[in-house]
Amino acid sequence: MRAGGGNDIQWCFSQVKGAVDDDVAEADIISTVEFNHSGELLATGDKGGRVVIFQQEQENKIQSHSRGEYNVYSTFQSHEPEFDYLKSLEIEEKINKIRWLPQKNAAQFLLSTNDKTIKLWKISERDKRPEGYNLKEEDGRYRDPTTVTTLRVPVFRPMDLMVEASPRRIFANAHTYHINSISINSDYETYLSADDLRINLWHLEITDRSFNIVDIKPANMEELTEVITAAEFHPNSCNTFVYSSSKGTIRLCDMRASALCDRHSKLFEEPEDPSNRSFFSEIISSISDVKFSHSGRYMMTRDYLSVKIWDLNMENRPVETYQVHEYLRSKLCSLYENDCIFDKFECCWNGSDSVVMTGSYNNFFRMFDRNTKRDITLEASRENNKPRTVLKPRKVCASGKRKKDEISVDSLDFNKKILHTAWHPKENIIAVATTNNLYIFQDKVN
Amino acid sequence: MEVQKEAQRIMTLSVWKMYHSRMQRGGLRLHRSLQLSLVMRSARELYLSAKVEALEPEVSLPPACPSDLRLHPPREVESTVETATADGEQPSPEPMDTQEAPTAEEIPAYSAPRPAKVSRKRRSSSLRDGGDAGLVPSKKARLEEKEEEEGLSSEVADRLQPPPAQAEGAFPNLARVLQRRFSGLLNCSPAAPPTAPPACEAKPACRPADSMLNVLVRTVVAF
Repeated sequence: MRAGGGNDIQWCFSQVKGAVDDDVAEADIISTVEFNHSGELLATGDKGGRVVIFQQEQENKIQSHSRGEYNVYSTFQSHEPEFDYLKSLEIEEKINKIRWLPQKNAAQFLLSTNDKTIKLWKISERDKRPEGYNLKEEDGRYRDPTTVTTLRVPVFRPMDLMVEASPRRIFANAHTYHINSISINSDYETYLSADDLRINLWHLEITDRSFNIVDIKPANMEELTEVITAAEFHPNSCNTFVYSSSKGTIRLCDMRASALCDRHSKLFEEPEDPSNRSFFSEIISSISDVKFSHSGRYMMTRDYLSVKIWDLNMENRPVETYQVHEYLRSKLCSLYENDCIFDKFECCWNGSDSVVMTGSYNNFFRMFDRNTKRDITLEASRENNKPRTVLKPRKVCASGKRKKDEISVDSLDFNKKILHTAWHPKENIIAVATTNNLYIFQDKVN
Repeated sequence: MEVQKEAQRIMTLSVWKMYHSRMQRGGLRLHRSLQLSLVMRSARELYLSAKVEALEPEVSLPPACPSDLRLHPPREVESTVETATADGEQPSPEPMDTQEAPTAEEIPAYSAPRPAKVSRKRRSSSLRDGGDAGLVPSKKARLEEKEEEEGLSSEVADRLQPPPAQAEGAFPNLARVLQRRFSGLLNCSPAAPPTAPPACEAKPACRPADSMLNVLVRTVVAF
C-alpha cells in the first residue's frame, strides 16, 4: 500500500468520463459512485436508472509512470420508472446507492437501489463459446438428424469478450418511504436497507421476506421530529450498525440486544455551539452521510458545513471536526432560497484511514489529512485535463481583500456541486462526480 | 420590522417550496418536508416574537440581517406528515369524505374561526372556471403565482395586526390570503371573494389530479 497523506500527494488529472457539452441531460446526472473491494472496478449510477461500470486496465509494465486507465466495462439499465397506482405516485428510477459484494468467484455482484426497490446484479464475462454441436449449425439452425453421420464433442473456442449483467434478485415492497442507504454486512450474507423511518435486514438469497430492525415512525405522525438519513454496517462486527438522523445524532445498534433495535447501544451527539445558533442551524445539522473507517474504530459524518470523525468509544463529541466551507455560514438564507441548503454531500476515507475527502460547490472537493491536520481544496474541471497535469490547490476568499488566484464566495457556482466521491481502497486514485461527469485523479508517480 | 418582513418572506417561501415539492417526481420527500416545516416554524416564531418586541419599544430589536436571526426553541414539529401520511401506509380519506375542518388537536395553531362545510360541488365548479389550470399547473400559472407570492408580503403585513394575545392568528391569515389569491387566479379575476373553501379544511389524498388550490391548501393546513 502506498503511503497516505493528503499533503505529500500531488494529485494529477487522469481521466474524465461523460458528455462534454454544458447542457446536462437530467438522466445523465450521476447519483452514486463506488469502487469495488479490489478497486479494479468503479461503478456509477445515474438519475436515468443506469449503471455504468469501469474497469481498470492491467498495469502496463512498459509505461510504468501511470496506473491503468479506467474504461467502460459494462452498462446496463438497473431500474425503470414505475408507478404506484395505489398512491398515485411515480417512483423515480434514479439510482440512490450502489454497493459491491466481495468477489467469491469469476462473476461480480453488486446491489443497486432506487427509492423503493433493491436489486442484486450479477456481472459476468463471457469470452468463450461452444462450437461444434452435432444437432445445430453454427448459426443455430437445427440440422436434420438424418444427415448426422458422425459425432463430435463440442469445444469452447475464444470469442470477443462479452460482459453480461443480469438481475439475480429483486428485493421489493419493503419500504414505504424513500430508501437512502444500503449496506452489506461483514458476514457477506445479509445486508440492510434504510428509508426515512425504518431499517430492514435482508438475506441476499431471500427476496420475499425482510426483518425490520429499526422503526422510528411515531404512532402519531404529527409528533415526527427526525428521520433516518443514512445507515451502515460495521466493517468487522456483523452485529453492529449505525444510523444517522436529521437532527445530527448517530445511533449505534447491536442486533444481539434485541430483535428490534429501537433502543440504541450508543448515541453520538455533540452539543450545539450556542454561538453558531442561527435560523437554519437545525437543518444544517442534519447528517447527510455516515461512513465507518476501514479499521472500524472510527466513523465519519458529513453535515452541511463540516465533516466530523467520531471515535466509537466516545459518544459525547467527535474527536475531529473539519470545516468544509465555513464561509457559507453567513449565506444560509440565500442557500435556502436556491435549495442548495438541502444538498446531501457524501464523504469517504482513503485506504489507510489517514485522509478523508468530501465535495463542495464550484466543482471543488476537499481533503483533510488527519495526521498533519493539513487540508487541500481541488477543482474538478475540464480546463486541467491534460493527463498527469498536477492540480493546483484552490482557495476561497471569505471576506476582505481577495488575493490573486483566490475565488470570492459570491462568484462560486452553486449549480456545480460535487456530492459523490470515492477513494480506491488500496491506491491513491479517486473518483469525483460533478453533475454529469466522472473525474478520475491519481497521485503523481515518479 | 425588518425581522418581521424577513420572517414573513421566509414563511411564504417555505410554503411555496412545500407546494412545489409535492409536484416533484417521486412524491413527497419526508426529510425535505420535515426540514421545510422546521424552517417555517422558526420563521413563524421569529415573526411572532418580533411582533411582541415591536410592541415593547424599550426593548431593542435584533439585527435585520437574516443570518443573525435568533432561533427560539423550536416546538415539536406538527404534522409535516399530514401530507406525508397521504404517501404513507394509510391512504388519506377522499376529499368528499373530509369536509369538516381539522380538529383543534390536529392543528393547535389555528385559532381563527372557520366557516361551515363547503360542498364538493361548489369547489369543483369554482375550479372549472379556471379550466384545467388547476389540474396541471402551467408555466404561466406558476409565474403568476410567483408574482402573487411576492406581492403577498405587503398584503400580509397589512392584514396581520393582531394583538399579542392572538399570537397564533398570523398563520391562518396568511393561509387565507394565499388561498384567496389562488382562488382569484383560478377564477381569472384579481381579488375574488373567498368563495373557495377556507384554508383549514380537508386534506385530500395525494393525487396528481388534485387542483393546485387543494394542494396549496393542504400544504398550508399541515403547518
